[in-house]
Amino acid sequence: MKDYRFIGKATTRKDALDIVTGKTKFINDLSFPNMLYAKVLRSPFPHALIKSIDTAKAMKLPGVKAVLTYKDIPDWMGGLPRHVRVLDSKVRYVGDAVALVAAETEEIGEEALRLIIVEYEPLPAVYDVEEAMQPEAPQLYEQFPGNVLPRGIRVFGPNPLQEVVIGDIDQGIAEADFIVEGTYSYENIPNPLPPESPGAIAVWEGEDTLTVWSASQGPHILKVALQKMMGSSNVRSMGSPVGGSYGSKYMSWQYVFPAAALAKATRRPVKICYGRAEQLAAFTVRLGSRIHGKVGMKMDGSVTFLEGDWFVNTGAFSEMAQGMVAVGCGEAQLMLKCANWNLKPKVVCTNRTASGQVRGFGGQELKCALVPILTLGMEKANIDPVDFFKKNYVKPGEGYYWRDGEWWVSKGIDFTNAIEEGARVFGWQEKWQGWLKPSSVEGTKRRGVGVGVHGNADVGEDVSEAFVRLDPDGKAIIYSGLAEHGTGQRSNICKMVAEILQIPLEWVSVTAADSSINPFEFGPVGSRGTYAIGSAVIEAAEKAKKQLFDLMAPKFKVTPEELETVNGMVYVKGKDEEKLPWIAGLGYHGTCLGRGRFQPDFTLPNFMMIFTEVEVDTETGKVDLIKVVSATDVGQIIDPPSLINQLNGCLGSAGIDSALFEETVLDTRLGRIMNPNMIDYKWRTFAELPEMEHAILETPFPSHRFHAIGVGEIAPSPGPSAVLMAVANAIGVRIYDYPLTPDKILSALGKMDTLKKGGRG
Amino acid sequence: MGEINRSPYESTITLTVNGDTHLFRLGEGCHEVSPSHTLAFTLRERLGLTGTKISCDRGACGCCTVMMDGKAVLSCMLLTVECEEKVISTIEGLGDPITGSIDPIQQSFIDHTAFQCGFCTPGIIMSTKALLTENPSPTRGEVQEALAGNFCRCNSHYHVLDAVMAVTRKGG
Amino acid sequence: MKAFAHINACSVGEVIQLLAKYQGKAKLNAGGTDLLGVLKDRILPDYPELIINIKTITQLNSIEENDEGLRIGALTPLINIIASPLVEKTYSILKEAAVTVASPQIRNMATMGGNLCQDTRCWYYRYPDEIGGMIKCFRKGGKTCPAVTGENRYHAIMEARKCFAVCPSDMAVVLTVLGATLTIAGGGGTRDISVEEFFTPMGNVLVPDEMITMINIPKPSPVASQNFLKFTLRKPIDFAIVSAASLITIDRGICTDARVILGAVAWKPIRVSEAEGFLRGKELTEEVIAEGARLALVGAKPLSKNAYKVDIAKTLVKRAVAGC
Ligand SMILES: Cc1cc2nc3c(=O)[nH]c(=O)nc-3n(C[C@H](O)[C@H](O)[C@H](O)COP(=O)(O)OP(=O)(O)OC[C@H]3O[C@@H](n4cnc5c(N)ncnc54)[C@H](O)[C@@H]3O)c2cc1C
Ligand code: SF4
Ligand code: FES
Ligand code: FES
Repeated sequence: MKDYRFIGKATTRKDALDIVTGKTKFINDLSFPNMLYAKVLRSPFPHALIKSIDTAKAMKLPGVKAVLTYKDIPDWMGGLPRHVRVLDSKVRYVGDAVALVAAETEEIGEEALRLIIVEYEPLPAVYDVEEAMQPEAPQLYEQFPGNVLPRGIRVFGPNPLQEVVIGDIDQGIAEADFIVEGTYSYENIPNPLPPESPGAIAVWEGEDTLTVWSASQGPHILKVALQKMMGSSNVRSMGSPVGGSYGSKYMSWQYVFPAAALAKATRRPVKICYGRAEQLAAFTVRLGSRIHGKVGMKMDGSVTFLEGDWFVNTGAFSEMAQGMVAVGCGEAQLMLKCANWNLKPKVVCTNRTASGQVRGFGGQELKCALVPILTLGMEKANIDPVDFFKKNYVKPGEGYYWRDGEWWVSKGIDFTNAIEEGARVFGWQEKWQGWLKPSSVEGTKRRGVGVGVHGNADVGEDVSEAFVRLDPDGKAIIYSGLAEHGTGQRSNICKMVAEILQIPLEWVSVTAADSSINPFEFGPVGSRGTYAIGSAVIEAAEKAKKQLFDLMAPKFKVTPEELETVNGMVYVKGKDEEKLPWIAGLGYHGTCLGRGRFQPDFTLPNFMMIFTEVEVDTETGKVDLIKVVSATDVGQIIDPPSLINQLNGCLGSAGIDSALFEETVLDTRLGRIMNPNMIDYKWRTFAELPEMEHAILETPFPSHRFHAIGVGEIAPSPGPSAVLMAVANAIGVRIYDYPLTPDKILSALGKMDTLKKGGRG
Repeated sequence: MGEINRSPYESTITLTVNGDTHLFRLGEGCHEVSPSHTLAFTLRERLGLTGTKISCDRGACGCCTVMMDGKAVLSCMLLTVECEEKVISTIEGLGDPITGSIDPIQQSFIDHTAFQCGFCTPGIIMSTKALLTENPSPTRGEVQEALAGNFCRCNSHYHVLDAVMAVTRKGG
Repeated sequence: MKAFAHINACSVGEVIQLLAKYQGKAKLNAGGTDLLGVLKDRILPDYPELIINIKTITQLNSIEENDEGLRIGALTPLINIIASPLVEKTYSILKEAAVTVASPQIRNMATMGGNLCQDTRCWYYRYPDEIGGMIKCFRKGGKTCPAVTGENRYHAIMEARKCFAVCPSDMAVVLTVLGATLTIAGGGGTRDISVEEFFTPMGNVLVPDEMITMINIPKPSPVASQNFLKFTLRKPIDFAIVSAASLITIDRGICTDARVILGAVAWKPIRVSEAEGFLRGKELTEEVIAEGARLALVGAKPLSKNAYKVDIAKTLVKRAVAGC
């Protein structure tokens, strides 16, 4: 492996000093003179028409500057397809926005909300995905009969992936040695729960220019999206450090619109920052996912067909569900070599808070329900799941339909070594005792192991652009619309540029994520940071270097190709006695600018396998996570601590722990989320950490000059189904949904004599 | 509102934060401190000390942790009016204001990349500071217990523990 | 938080006077770890006009021992209970419970009195006003209990009638097993009441002009072993799903005295007398303990989603007794 100066070495994050001293300015740390605070009146009904709404009293409260209702809100539309108004005459979940207030202080805003008088006509509500599709079910939107949303997503291309229909199911049935069938669901709608709730500040200049500071994970795409959704306005989007997002704060129109509307109405800067209860009960959660599936298998573990209905519950509206379904469908094929498919998703809206993008983006939701169905077959064929995944995960030269509906062939690498290394680190051989068998038993404690797999081909999704500017004093600045959301990506692109230009890391900086100065950036999602964003930055740096050498070559009387540069000095290769500083080429008052652009490429699937060991107390039903090992191959590590941090992130952000204790509890009589606080919404604490190890290989990828690809987004995704498997093995009984709380364990073990009821409800 | 039973000394409040003393008038005005203001709010919105973060605002996440009389406390669950005569320090008050050098805990967090998004970091560092002030050489388990009230959603826990243990070995 | 007037109290007398004057419209603030949450979420129909800080009554922050036992001031923070050598030596179960409460920061702030008087954690009761309005139920003077047929996984499995919320206090459980009493000061003078009698199905016996000043704990038998177990999904932060406290004396292999209390199963800590009676006079074999645990839960009547608590409670009784 190449020995780099920065790449692969642990370096200090550029923002480290600010973070540890509290100087980092997150969105709620910013304020503007004359700024107002936005507050949202939220619906008590899961489904209702607003008959009348009286804001007069609220308007009269001193300090209130605007009260907006559906009658006077701009006609901006979000959602996929566009179907979500900022305020509507109909509310569709408890917590849906009814009115907006802008006030001098948050307290005044809160009091004003209490003075708004609303008369509702309650409508029946529906929460279950299959019930919502029944003919007599309440209808959320006139344009979506049966509550089924149109499939497909235009931005993915003219022919976006909507389902997996390949080959001939009858053929698959004929070839199968046996068929298994089951229903599994991942409907505990866990919350990514970023520590920083969504927030934005909106400022208008004149009639048509809006500047938005926001906690968006993708500030540049926010600009593009807002401009589309708002019609004629010009939007300048300013990214700020993101206090955790895990996907959820990528599309941020849901909370930017209210601030923008109030700022427009008051002509003053308006800040909106959701409280924790709003984030938990009225912002986006994971998709609900349920699969009735059938799988044909041969005794050697090859799968002859897969057929299933995938019910996707998107809650009150679709923010990106069809996109997540498309990617999930692609990812299913990466995991499973199978000639005959009929996997039919249905995207359905119901009367609970909406689902949105969350780390794992459709694939995790799908896997959590699909992998357990496959395990029914593995059990029957008595196949070790590690062997099954090894056999079935996509290999170079094999193909898949990706989200654009096109057939792509993997040009990546074979992950067999990573799987084997993971199994070795975990001690799989010693612990695996066969299906529904514990790996050890001690008194009332039974241990079990399980494994899950995930990967996507999105590391090369979408477009990134970057400029790299060289300054005469040897410094370089990257123009990128990238906001830092915790992965260290802003620092990592600096490392790449420092490596290419061979200048100290301190000499490289990145512009603020300001859409008015930076070129297009899709944002750090889908593990695309390393490959897609990295490629654009690398190209820009190389082009800038080439320009520099073009300028300098005549001074050395050589061709540009004969030059090299180190620490701001240019040399003729091999002759370091003759050197000139950059300034000799650029002049005192000059710079040069390289431009890089990354074009989507879906040929490089990434990979993650998670091994888990759990311990179940059969008397209390308590499940403890004992050990986690993740196995992956990243081509080339850019920054070891950042990568390890991302892999450790498999527990939270609605990952592994969504199999153990994370859940959003909905009272289906009231339509209310009953645990919208950080005591009752459970999250992992410092006191209870499993043993955590990683098997990380570095087999060079044909990606960019550092041969790396990203894995951050997929780190948690294989986890929940691995835990489900581990618990089934520990207790010898299968459980069909998440999370594995004591009530479910005890009920599965037949312990609760008074209540022999399994599952939810 | 009923009759307000306020003696004269309660019309102002003196707050000592990071060694600086601040005098506020009590009241509901824009620059005043209201009796209903939490310490977290006052630190952030009146003193501009935004390093103290608010996440749950209900005592469950530790993002708002500051030190009061040497102990880690939650500034979102404290009324500012009840913090008079207390010695309060926040993340901004760590390190040496004269030399500008940072606390060894902060340096160790940098060296171990003991954060991802960094939103939880000030609170975690303040809990750590309180722990090490009382017990300069805790075990890893004791550190875990001391940080049990600090939420970190990015799961930077493992690096945080490494960072804290590295400082304890040096003797805090 | 909505505005209120505020006063730092100087003495118990002043507090009682203020409470009487405000007739239920004043609230005491001790550690504030519960009260501030209640106020921020606007869960109650009434909002206080005055908040009285009682932490300023420093003489109620105290731990003292005399011949009869331990006297703890109501304003003593939990951290002082944990750090006290007196507690450690003779009343270790107090510490065992205190260390399970919430988090280190909260234990630095939360007081003993506040822990006993904290409001229930029923999800309906605690539902935040900002998301569609607070939920009115029996406990708030309403006409129904939405928990009975709703999301009641953490609710009562015993002794509940109209309200099925449980007493969330961990300290109450161990104070009950120790047979502690509370000194209550009020407009009508001072009274003592046992912790067992302190709770009522929808709260506690305090009237608007009363406050707890002291917690009095009789010295347990030096040979009795003390045990507290708390079942939660997560060790820190979480309130008990079920807890059990036991005080068991064994003399020459025979159980001569047994006190066993279950927590988070009802509106108060529940003393399981039948099980205690059964254990007394017997050798505590595995079978005897199992039978005791069974007896402890015979009266249990779980709701739609909390039958699992019965199993857990049995297990905790078993383990608490066996651990002694
Ligand atoms: C995240 C979190 C987790 C928690 N976990 C647990 C747990 O595991 N176990 C547990 O037991 N508790 C738990 N709690 C509750 C917390 O321990 C209690 O809130 C705390 O002990 C209350 O004490 P305090 O002094 O802060 O009470 P305060 O909030 O000040 O007061 C609570 C109530 O008691 C009244 N009061 C206070 N003192 C007196 C007095 N002397 N006389 C009369 N009335 C009085 C107040 O008026 C108020 O109504 C948790 C709380 C939080 C926020
Ligand atoms: S259990 Fe009690 S507090 Fe909870 S909803 Fe029912 S009456 Fe109200
Ligand atoms: S913000 Fe104070 S504890 Fe969460
Ligand atoms: S680093 Fe993001 S929450 Fe801790």
